[in-house]
Amino acid sequence: MAFTSQSLIFRAPASVPGARLAAPSASRVSLRGRGASFTSVAAASTSMANMDGDEKETKLWGGRFEEGVTDAVERFTESISYDWQLYKYDIMGSKAHASMLASQGLITAGDKDIILEGLDQIERLIQEDKFEWRKDREDVHMNIEAALIERVGEPAKKLHTARSRNDQIVTDLRLWCRDAIDKILIHIKQLQVSLVMLASKYVDLIVPGYTHLQRAQPVLLPHLLLSYVEQLERDAGRLVNCRERVNFCPLGACALAGTGLPIDRFQTAKDLKFTAPMKNSIDAVSDRDFVLEFLAANSIAAVHLSRIGEEWVLWASEEFGFLTPSDKVSTGSSIMPQKKNPDPMELVRGKSARVVGDLMTVLTLCKGLPQAYNRDLQEDKEPLFDSVKAILGMLEVCTEFAQNISFNSKRIQSSLPAGYLDATTLADYLVKKGVPFRTSHEIVGRSVALCVSKNCQLAELQLDDLKAVHPVFEADVYEYLGVENAVNKFISYGSTGSNQVKKQLEDWRIQLGISS
Amino acid sequence: MAFTSQSLIFRAPASVPGARLAAPSASRVCLRGRGASFTSVAAASTSMANLDGDEKKETKLWGGRFEEGVTDAVERFTESISYDWQLYKYDIMGSKAHASMLASQGLITAGDRDIILEGLDQIERLIQEGKFEWRKDREDVHMNIEAALIERVGEPAKKLHTARSRNDQIVTDLRLWCRDAIDKILIRIKQLQVSLVMLASKYVDLIVPGYTHLQRAQPVLLPHLLLSYVEQLERDAGRLVNCRERVNFCPLGACALAGTGLPIDRFQTAKDLKFTAPMKNSIDAVSDRDFVLEFLAANSIAAVHLSRIGEEWVLWASEEFGFLTPSDKVSTGSSIMPQKKNPDPMELVRGKSARVVGDLMTVLTLCKGLPQAYNRDLQEDKEPLFDSVKAILGMLEVCTEFAQNISFNSKRIQSSLPAGYLDATTLADYLVKKGVPFRTSHEIVGRSVALCVSKNCQLAELQLDDLKAVHPVFEADVYEYLGVENAVNKFISYGSTGSNQVKKQLEDWRIQLGISS
Repeated sequence: MAFTSQSLIFRAPASVPGARLAAPSASRVSLRGRGASFTSVAAASTSMANMDGDEKETKLWGGRFEEGVTDAVERFTESISYDWQLYKYDIMGSKAHASMLASQGLITAGDKDIILEGLDQIERLIQEDKFEWRKDREDVHMNIEAALIERVGEPAKKLHTARSRNDQIVTDLRLWCRDAIDKILIHIKQLQVSLVMLASKYVDLIVPGYTHLQRAQPVLLPHLLLSYVEQLERDAGRLVNCRERVNFCPLGACALAGTGLPIDRFQTAKDLKFTAPMKNSIDAVSDRDFVLEFLAANSIAAVHLSRIGEEWVLWASEEFGFLTPSDKVSTGSSIMPQKKNPDPMELVRGKSARVVGDLMTVLTLCKGLPQAYNRDLQEDKEPLFDSVKAILGMLEVCTEFAQNISFNSKRIQSSLPAGYLDATTLADYLVKKGVPFRTSHEIVGRSVALCVSKNCQLAELQLDDLKAVHPVFEADVYEYLGVENAVNKFISYGSTGSNQVKKQLEDWRIQLGISS
Repeated sequence: MAFTSQSLIFRAPASVPGARLAAPSASRVCLRGRGASFTSVAAASTSMANLDGDEKKETKLWGGRFEEGVTDAVERFTESISYDWQLYKYDIMGSKAHASMLASQGLITAGDRDIILEGLDQIERLIQEGKFEWRKDREDVHMNIEAALIERVGEPAKKLHTARSRNDQIVTDLRLWCRDAIDKILIRIKQLQVSLVMLASKYVDLIVPGYTHLQRAQPVLLPHLLLSYVEQLERDAGRLVNCRERVNFCPLGACALAGTGLPIDRFQTAKDLKFTAPMKNSIDAVSDRDFVLEFLAANSIAAVHLSRIGEEWVLWASEEFGFLTPSDKVSTGSSIMPQKKNPDPMELVRGKSARVVGDLMTVLTLCKGLPQAYNRDLQEDKEPLFDSVKAILGMLEVCTEFAQNISFNSKRIQSSLPAGYLDATTLADYLVKKGVPFRTSHEIVGRSVALCVSKNCQLAELQLDDLKAVHPVFEADVYEYLGVENAVNKFISYGSTGSNQVKKQLEDWRIQLGISS
């Protein structure tokens, strides 16, 4: 399935002309409606008065109720304005449930066929933007079930046998998360491929390596780019582990206690490609730890991406001048004609804030809830959807940026002599001569101080100057000075030595399936 | 090794008489020193003046190119020894592995190695005996130990930092620390699981109200509820196990960021320190703290789980619920109200989840937007990490003790059960079995409940005629489905509260946790 990030999140009625998202009390719902859907009490009272003329539909759970809810409560508690996005999974779950009910003799095969056909029709209507989402029907489950009853009558009333919205929503959500994780994993791999391709273009380019943002040691650019690839691989690993825990089936846990009807939870779990049914029905409907884990994995990935964003924005500045993004991934200023800003990477850095915020929202949400379903849990969806949308966008834009930047080799090369990048290599030289490292560090430190006073580089010091600092220096010292020499001296596993980096690059090309 | 939560975090000089945590400019450092160790600029200037008379400052080990020492304010602001001394065990472990590798590779002599190892052993003993002097002017745990080693054994110690940087050293220490901390938490999780299973085993047949929206929903067996926590804890453990796998790679030998030109063997040190393998990219190895983030995130999710147990048990201990009574051993009183017996430990379990989540936030914010390779900012990862682990260990310990020291008030619970129509869903299932579609059943039972509300009675107290008036499908066998005992007995689905299902779950958990029957 070829989802784009847009289609996974927003494939959708509401953003398309002709879509109908209707309710007696509100004409249209905002998609991320915090605030927007929450009018002041005074305004709400006024609009309620206007609405009293409408005759409200009795809720599907209305048996013991004598009065309907107020409009303000209805607006405040509805979730259809965002949970309609789960329709595909809700229908998938209902079909598996109906098939199981029929296998178990709880409904007839005829009823099952009618239900499946009705659900197919509804799914098509939704995809063609012809389905009317009603706020007074609260949520995606009730909207679909009520529409099914309208279309096919009695058999549809049997669909909710041995099922509750409590297990239904968490089944929908686990199915949604599973697809979302798969989608993110693809995007992560695409970014990794782009970074490896970029690294392959600059196999020999030496750049300054920084610690504390001070020049530290020379490194090969591919070594730096592959460090991001490593981080992304761990991000993917966290999502894969999360997916394993997501992929258990709560369906059949019903409200909280299971059911006395002879259902087969293993059949529905298998149908929906879950690993197994969840073992404890109270746990199944109570918990959202899989959402928390997913949002935490996204947050860590987002922090990683924010670091690429920071680095590339920095490198694109006049002062660094190490990279140039192409026009395709840059934007201009409304007032300053000369500007070409790396906005996409700034927004990658910036959007990490909302991904972290989404995690905070759901951690706060779940804190201190007693066991089994609480309505609070409805608030898990918008942050979840938002986090996934943000992370998909961030990965996509990083990938495009990586495909559309060039490193300014000349500028980088000409800047390399500054900053004593070869000092640590010089200390290693002294170690090889038998000087203890702490003493070597001290000697090279004094050599650097000499350079500072003479305003020159280490390689520019005369052998006599060096010998004056310490007699151990010999003529072969110049093989260790200068960034090219310095880089060539690295040999340790995982280091910036060119053989090491070539090996890493080759390993990643194989692992990611990039043909040479 | 039998750590307690105290010993893992605070085992330590500073809390032991005779311990010395000294610095020329400050007599003693607070352990979680945010704020406390940060005096105002004016005060700092004054105290600096006073200190100028003190002994001449030691030159830093990295002082070769520097002409001036740092100011006292900068020294105080940037030091980390007041908390990173807690890593000493791992720092020494890493140094010993490094020295052994340097000798195997011919980078130092076997004699130098032996001197270094012996010196490090002596220092470790001094620290454990509270006789080691931690100096703030030596910045951090690495420099404190290395400088002390040079003082003790001289020249050979100056070779120890060959092909190593504090950048790879600190992250090696931290990964080793996290690995032990995770193992400790895993043990605590299992202890809590065992306590919950033991508690469940004491009340095999006790029916309690199951709630959704905190309204009475369906009757459940108490063990079913308690085992739902056990399931959650098992996933918490799973997250930590996965985290441990990613923690357990060795950054040592990444040096400052680029590796080294000296012929070191990173596979040997990785193996010595029981890491899975060396990390593959030296820049990545020193730059990232994603393993800390993952650990803190796993702790946060576990903390949220524990906060939910806290909420539920506090609720159940209230007069209004009255479902459980903690023993005096795990309760506290009021300074003014003589009758009070408060479940404070579980309130603090709920409350301490806030700091665990806060610690995660701190480190996420810390890491956001840092360019690649080591940045000093990363020093700020330690206090939140230590705090999170201390909090979660305490929470698990107290939950375990609470679980061992509560009793459920079976009589009170039983007498409260008839209220709330807990058998209504079972009645709907009865109608489904009679061939009524579920939505219609729901409607019929809903109307039956409305009838009960108007008559102020329970479903089981309705006459058959009353029920037949609601819908003719009701027959005399309906009474087999009414009342909570009947209702609970009707559950048969996998994972449900049916007593066979719960017995099976309980037995599975006893086996998995190694509890003998």
